[in-house]
Amino acid sequence: MVKIGLEIHQRLACGKLFCACPSDLAEPEAKPDLVIRRRLHPVLSEMGEIDEASKAEFGKGRTFAYHAFRSSNCLVEIDEEPPHNINPDALAIALELAQHLDMKTVDELHIMRKMVIDGSNTSGFQRTAIAAFDGRLETSQGPIGIPLLAVEEESAGIVGSEGSESAYRLDRLGIPLVEITTTPDIKSPEHLLEVAEKIGMLMRATGKVARGLGTIRQDVNISTERGARVEIKGAQDLKMLPLLAQNEVKRQDGLIAIMDELRTRFKGKVILNCMPVDVTDALASTKSPLISKGLASGASVFGLVLEKHAGLIGREIQPGRRYGTELSDYAKTAGVKGIIHSDEDMAKYSITGEEAAALRQSLGMKQGDAFVLVVAPAEQAKAALAKALERAKMDFIPAETRRANQDGTTSYMRPLPGKARLYPETDVPPVRITKELLASVSKGEGLEDKKARLLKLLGNAEMADRMLRSRNLALFEGLVKDGADPTLVANTLESTLVSLRREGAEVRDPNAMLPGLFALHAKGAFVKAAIPDILREIAGGKALADAVKDYSIISGKELEKIAKELGFDMKAIMSKYRTRIDPKELESILRKKKQENKE
Amino acid sequence: MYSKQILSLLKKKGIEIGDEVRLDSPKGAFIGLLMPRPEGAEGTFVIKLPNGYNLGIDAKGAELSLVKKSQPAKPHGAEPKDRGEIAIIGCGGTIASKVEYRTGAVYPAISPREMRNAFPDVDRIATIHTRQLFELFSEDMAAPHWAILAKAIAEEVKDGAKGVVVMHGTDTMSYTSAAISFMLQGLPVPVVLTGAQRSSDRPSSDNRLNLLNSVFAAKQDLGEVGVCMHAGPSDDICHLHRGTRVRKMHSSRRDAFKSINSPPIAVLDYRSSVFKPLTQYKKRSAPGSLRLEAKISDNVALIQVHPNIKPKFIASLSSYDGVVLMATGLGHIPTNPFNDKHATQIFPAVSELIESGIPVVLAPQTIYGRLNLKVYTNGRLLLDAGVIGDGMDWTPECAYVKLCWVLGQAKDMKKVKQLMETDLAGEIGIRSPLEVD
Repeated sequence: MVKIGLEIHQRLACGKLFCACPSDLAEPEAKPDLVIRRRLHPVLSEMGEIDEASKAEFGKGRTFAYHAFRSSNCLVEIDEEPPHNINPDALAIALELAQHLDMKTVDELHIMRKMVIDGSNTSGFQRTAIAAFDGRLETSQGPIGIPLLAVEEESAGIVGSEGSESAYRLDRLGIPLVEITTTPDIKSPEHLLEVAEKIGMLMRATGKVARGLGTIRQDVNISTERGARVEIKGAQDLKMLPLLAQNEVKRQDGLIAIMDELRTRFKGKVILNCMPVDVTDALASTKSPLISKGLASGASVFGLVLEKHAGLIGREIQPGRRYGTELSDYAKTAGVKGIIHSDEDMAKYSITGEEAAALRQSLGMKQGDAFVLVVAPAEQAKAALAKALERAKMDFIPAETRRANQDGTTSYMRPLPGKARLYPETDVPPVRITKELLASVSKGEGLEDKKARLLKLLGNAEMADRMLRSRNLALFEGLVKDGADPTLVANTLESTLVSLRREGAEVRDPNAMLPGLFALHAKGAFVKAAIPDILREIAGGKALADAVKDYSIISGKELEKIAKELGFDMKAIMSKYRTRIDPKELESILRKKKQENKE
Repeated sequence: MYSKQILSLLKKKGIEIGDEVRLDSPKGAFIGLLMPRPEGAEGTFVIKLPNGYNLGIDAKGAELSLVKKSQPAKPHGAEPKDRGEIAIIGCGGTIASKVEYRTGAVYPAISPREMRNAFPDVDRIATIHTRQLFELFSEDMAAPHWAILAKAIAEEVKDGAKGVVVMHGTDTMSYTSAAISFMLQGLPVPVVLTGAQRSSDRPSSDNRLNLLNSVFAAKQDLGEVGVCMHAGPSDDICHLHRGTRVRKMHSSRRDAFKSINSPPIAVLDYRSSVFKPLTQYKKRSAPGSLRLEAKISDNVALIQVHPNIKPKFIASLSSYDGVVLMATGLGHIPTNPFNDKHATQIFPAVSELIESGIPVVLAPQTIYGRLNLKVYTNGRLLLDAGVIGDGMDWTPECAYVKLCWVLGQAKDMKKVKQLMETDLAGEIGIRSPLEVD
């Protein structure tokens, strides 16, 4: 029995949660205005003791370089000023979302500090608060519980790591998010996609959540009966979720099969008594580029014998990922690039048969044993193999936080945190959720209402559904509200702009430009058939006013003249003047002419 | 706090803060720990859920029942009696504040022992022993505390401490550092005050770097009182400021502390054993040369001169034994020499204070720069009236503390003036540095 639950993080479309900075990101290439270097260290628990887990993490002596930007940061994000009060706009949006999910709200919001030990928050914790609980979502497979909606601050984005320093950008830090958790009642990978899509659409239907790349993140919680609970982070594309879930089940099943096989081979409990061994000598004169290059730079080769593991390390457990990849992921946490193992083809590394034999001998290997090699400076190599051994010794499926890979597989990130270590944010007092506040939160249109209204506006189920899912939904609503024709707007947004982009004519800022375009159209400055051509000219760099100049409508006497010149042939006239003529007017001229002819 | 009604209900049911409870409310049932409520709506229960989150649910219509009593916290053992080379004295403040999870309040209550547990690195720099002297926020520290602290430091020195670190709230740290600079003369060991701008209950607190660098500073060949705090926003180096020159110049930044009109004594980096002097400083005095002069008056006023200041207000200061005026510019107060009809002057009221035997000391409200009473008529009038402070580049707080201390030593106006205008602890400079910061 597989249990699947979902955790969705969605950025809200308003300013930062605990300061007055805008939630705008700096340009990806922008140079930071300020770089500061910090260290984090463990704090005393309520018992006056240090949490061992955080002590181990902080004990690594890592420094964090924080890149701050004047446009999107103030002293709050660099932890040089206490947080301000919670942004009431963000709270209102969270409460509105809670209403759409049929949730109950807390009477008082308590802001908590959630320890974050990887440096992704300058303070060393993320601020988070439960706003609502006990909600539900209707799905094709029956209702799904929504036990929690929390409002929290976004973390800083990692720039990179080098040696003992990790660099983070602070423009993202503090943007408000809602975290929405489902109960683990999702029936199948397909159902997972449905639930994720539905929650996403429901949030976007409010028009109050951020759009665009990285503004929504879906974490999947999966547990299998004989396996463990695994949290998969960082799926950028919703469509990836079913594959991630399938692959995770496959991985756990594969690992269980390996575990069973090992128990058979060991005739009971799997016991590994081995230590990393220096095998540099056995490979001292190797032609293997990977190894010789490492040795030349002062690295050593260390090996680890995994008794009775032959054939299992190379066994595939996810597409393109073997049990060895799992061991490798653990080894990588010690900073090495990867491992070499005995189920691989040694020729791949240009390791000769003699070298392999010497290696097996110096490791003291028996028939049926396997080895794992690491090329790195001695201490690091030993640490990496110790991590790999730690994994190999696990006679169970470990509960892990895993990263979603592009191909739908996952990689190990860290052990699943135990009970989250939360403590009160003493700098921000609790917030009373009053009846007045709840009443003032406009429960905007729900998803179903919106669906119905779009269908009525567009008269076409397919287009209504497309618009509902579109990133341009808010723009569509705005333009229609200003009086533009819904079908024309929908076609322009979902079809014209897309095909223009495909031909290389991308309209840069439709949000800023389209209202002006449709306003001119409403005034009769041009016909709708001219819109693609006008947009093409704008994409080419023309200002709106210049772009529409050549498309003024031909009508009245002038149109009659043209009609006459072209022999009142509708087809000929339209093919020449399609973008300048209102077909209705032309039709009436032609009708008049026909009438005259009859008479 | 919870309402009286709730408290009596808890008592009746034998439920205490921290116990595991079940709350059946109109919004559903919750099982979790009953948390304290230091603030906010007193009719709302705060429950810590098993996932660690707290939430507030109104008591109205809800039924509370006990699930399990909490385990009482283990009491701490006594502070170990071993003496180390460096004495760490705790006075409270942010560097030593923590959340009491059972009551939810922030206490200035981390003992130096807990600090040592939290920062095992300390032992790599020096052997230490600790002493909790006060548990106070720094805004509550007053002249009597300065004297008690100076005596405690003198005791530590007498008992063989090779250096003293004082953990102190940051708000008034520069008053305390100035006071003990005057009280402890002929220091044979460094005395280093330190604190934290970000509370110690956060992993990013500046307390660690500040404390470790302070212990490192306390090992140097230095015979002065200093303040050791972050030099910039990064966790890399600290500045050691002279106790009489330092001022808190920002409400929240880590690098809030600046030396005014004088460079810091040194740059510190304990990690690479760097003690880089930026100016001259006193070396350790010979053992046994410490003189404790802890007598001090707490009856001194510090007043900022401002437009519209009333003569009546100045006259009301006659109940004080001394007055420090934070004067404008080079050392000015409203004197109205042109008899403008809208202007009022406080000059006669100031003159009267001085004539009645109350010393009036000037300090620059510009913070940076030196007083000079000879440039404008206004200043000359003050000089003639007998104000103290012409040519001084002291901070208002240091001038204030010095007057408190001088009045503990002398009553005679002439002696007071002479002591005030003599450099006793590096508080007066005769050359103004080229750079401000």
